[in-house]
Amino acid sequence: MATVQISEAEKVYILHGVRDDLRVDGRGCEDYRHMEVETDMVSNTDGSAKVSLGHTDVLVGVKAEIGKPRPVARDEGYLEFFVDCSANATPEFEGRGGDELGVELSNTLYKVFGNRSSLDLKSLCISPGEHCWVLYVDVLLLQCDGNLFDAISVAIKAALFNTKIPKVHLSEDEQGGKEIELSDDPYDCMRLNVENVPCVVTLCKVGHRHVVDATMQEKACSVASLIISVTHKGTITCVRKVGGGSLDPESIFEMTETGKRVGKALHAPLMELLHKEESLGKKRDKVGFLG
Amino acid sequence: MAGLELLSDQGYRLDGRKATELRKVQARMGVFAQADGSAYIEQGNTKALAVVYGPHEVRGSRSRTLNDRAVINCQYSMATFSTSERKRRPHGDRKSTEMSLHLKQTFEAAVLTNLYPRSQIDIYVKILQSDGGNYSAGVNAATLAVIDAGIPLRDYVCACTAGFVDETPLTDLCHAEESGGGTSLAMALLPRGGHIALLQMDARLHQDHLETLMEAAMTACKSISKVLDQVVRQHLQEVSALTGE
Amino acid sequence: MTSNKSAVWKTVSMAADMRLPTIRKQVSLSASLSALDGKDLVVPGDVITSDTGFMRGHGTYMDEEKLTASVAGEVERVNKLICVRPLKTRFNGEVGDVVVGRVTEVQQKRWKVETNSRLDSVLLLSSVNLPGGELRRRSAEDELAMRDYLLEGDLISAEVQSVFSDGALSLHTRSLKYGKLGQGVLIQLSPSLIKRQKTHFHNLPCGTSIILGNNGFVWLYPTPGHQDEEAGGYYTSLEPVSLSDREVISRLRNCLLALSAHKVMLYDTSVLYCYESSMPHQIKDILKPEVMEEVVMVTRQKLMEQEG
Repeated sequence: MATVQISEAEKVYILHGVRDDLRVDGRGCEDYRHMEVETDMVSNTDGSAKVSLGHTDVLVGVKAEIGKPRPVARDEGYLEFFVDCSANATPEFEGRGGDELGVELSNTLYKVFGNRSSLDLKSLCISPGEHCWVLYVDVLLLQCDGNLFDAISVAIKAALFNTKIPKVHLSEDEQGGKEIELSDDPYDCMRLNVENVPCVVTLCKVGHRHVVDATMQEKACSVASLIISVTHKGTITCVRKVGGGSLDPESIFEMTETGKRVGKALHAPLMELLHKEESLGKKRDKVGFLG
Repeated sequence: MAGLELLSDQGYRLDGRKATELRKVQARMGVFAQADGSAYIEQGNTKALAVVYGPHEVRGSRSRTLNDRAVINCQYSMATFSTSERKRRPHGDRKSTEMSLHLKQTFEAAVLTNLYPRSQIDIYVKILQSDGGNYSAGVNAATLAVIDAGIPLRDYVCACTAGFVDETPLTDLCHAEESGGGTSLAMALLPRGGHIALLQMDARLHQDHLETLMEAAMTACKSISKVLDQVVRQHLQEVSALTGE
Repeated sequence: MTSNKSAVWKTVSMAADMRLPTIRKQVSLSASLSALDGKDLVVPGDVITSDTGFMRGHGTYMDEEKLTASVAGEVERVNKLICVRPLKTRFNGEVGDVVVGRVTEVQQKRWKVETNSRLDSVLLLSSVNLPGGELRRRSAEDELAMRDYLLEGDLISAEVQSVFSDGALSLHTRSLKYGKLGQGVLIQLSPSLIKRQKTHFHNLPCGTSIILGNNGFVWLYPTPGHQDEEAGGYYTSLEPVSLSDREVISRLRNCLLALSAHKVMLYDTSVLYCYESSMPHQIKDILKPEVMEEVVMVTRQKLMEQEG
């Protein structure tokens, strides 16, 4: 379900709970729900990850394809984002129903992840002005239970970490034309440096306070949210206000501060988990959807 | 057949299977909490998710309401990253629209829709990873999801593909075999009564061979039904043991 | 004062709980496996009997003179009637069932209510108690003022009055215990996990009340004082609920979700035992898989001991 309806009395109950720093599920205002992350889920991709946060489930696949660099940045590769709000998540998304949300999400993803400060785009260049890697980052929403942005951003970071791009060998033939040869060896691959890839923190203004990782019921009580993308150093790379209501500058400042602190704290456990998973390698049984 | 040898002289296929051997099937019911029913299936490297919502009040225009039975509403889609070549759109193209229609027809044959007048049942199938037999995996996953939702069925619906190479029928084709250019037949079967809910064959085949091929496909569907049956019974036992009483 | 409070809350360290998924274990006691022995479990297409002396109930159909299962579940025989109860299904309401539902539409002379049934349920204007007397005629003014009583999104508790021929439920709230719900928390679970009992309204000893709707909707709310009860169902207090009541409600909410995740039947005793078993843990930790497993395990043991 993308949105829920709640009664006035339920709203009052939620608002008072947030005021007292005791949310309906017992969390404080800055607590995340329990999150599960697993990578390498889809073998037809170059990198993939699944994240579940409460009942929000997201699957991200990264595919590397060879394309032509953009004229403005001849020595860089680039990223393309697509968010599939599938009918699996809620019947509202059937047909073209999920397109609007999908476009809204993917537009933000371009701003947050598709830039030089997030990834070393130069490393994606094969030959300047002619060939580069294009990373297609495809997000599939499988279940919606609030806080899509944060779950998607963690999944994207994990999927980029998991991405293995085949090494390329350039050779010139007699006519001076370039030939691209991809390495067949699956271990002869390039990994991406995801150190600076940010995570998104959505702060939802509920009453006079704000909460992170809002459930759909909390979202229904809120007039506006702030989306903040934060790197592991605590640098803010993107801020967006979403939702119909308005926010005063003072609360935006407060929310940014919280977002910075919360966002910074997301990276260390995520990276630790990704390294741990990789070190376990084949010793770990994949859980996937069969668990 | 150009290029690849789909069946070796010793009778083995590209992935080492015998002609009528099926790929390994793994499945789970009740994958998601929010939907009324859900299931996930892996058939070899093909992975599919199915989700069922309903029966519920008919959404959208009331004119779709049927007064004597439930409306079955299906959407088949493929994740953009599911194929080796990236897909531009998950659904809405001709192929997936056709598949959605097939799904609808298949399940209209199997679900006891007359028990739910004026209602609607949504069945959504998503292919997460494609390696041949996508439609079959989708149907099998959907069967499990419908059972998980507690919606009455006449019988399981089991689907499988079959091909024909060197006078030999092959069952449960993988992507390489499907795209090899040979005959490919998709069948959905209600195994107990032997009713065929869907039959589709692309490419040409000598009429004399049709019977052998259909025979092979039916046998394969029945084997799939045994696997699904095991999954359902296992799930049933586990949950009943927990609920106790 | 506010600034002081927020300073405290900023120092609270929060760490995101991130982990690799593990294969889920369902908590069960070895003894409960033997509970399977007496059960007749069937899947769609299984022939239950070819004896023609039986009557066909829910979850079955006649196939060539044979009584056949159409859902996966347990066979129930009541005299000559044979039914199969599926593990999980939408709410199949019967007259007298207690439901919790949400108003989705206000129409002329009736409200549409979502009750997790296969069709929206109906609450007729003539099936509610209006303020100012039990047996008053419904006037045109009442029809115009329907939104004053119940709005879209409002939650109600009600009883199933009758079932229409197409299977839709007609509800009534003509009793003081039913009516509009005020502050509290709704949890939506599977109807098959709600154990049928004499009453589905409980004032739990931990200071909170619970309505275990037969339709799987469970409502947790602070036990009302005397003055609220007399207001007749359509007055809701918007006064803040005390923090201690909130803690109990949140804990119960997480307990109910834990029990439902592990398919434990829900009734006052199981809920209360789970509540007690969860006490060593913080409220927000109850939903972590390993804590959930432990709490449910302890609850099951308590239930077994109680049964003797």
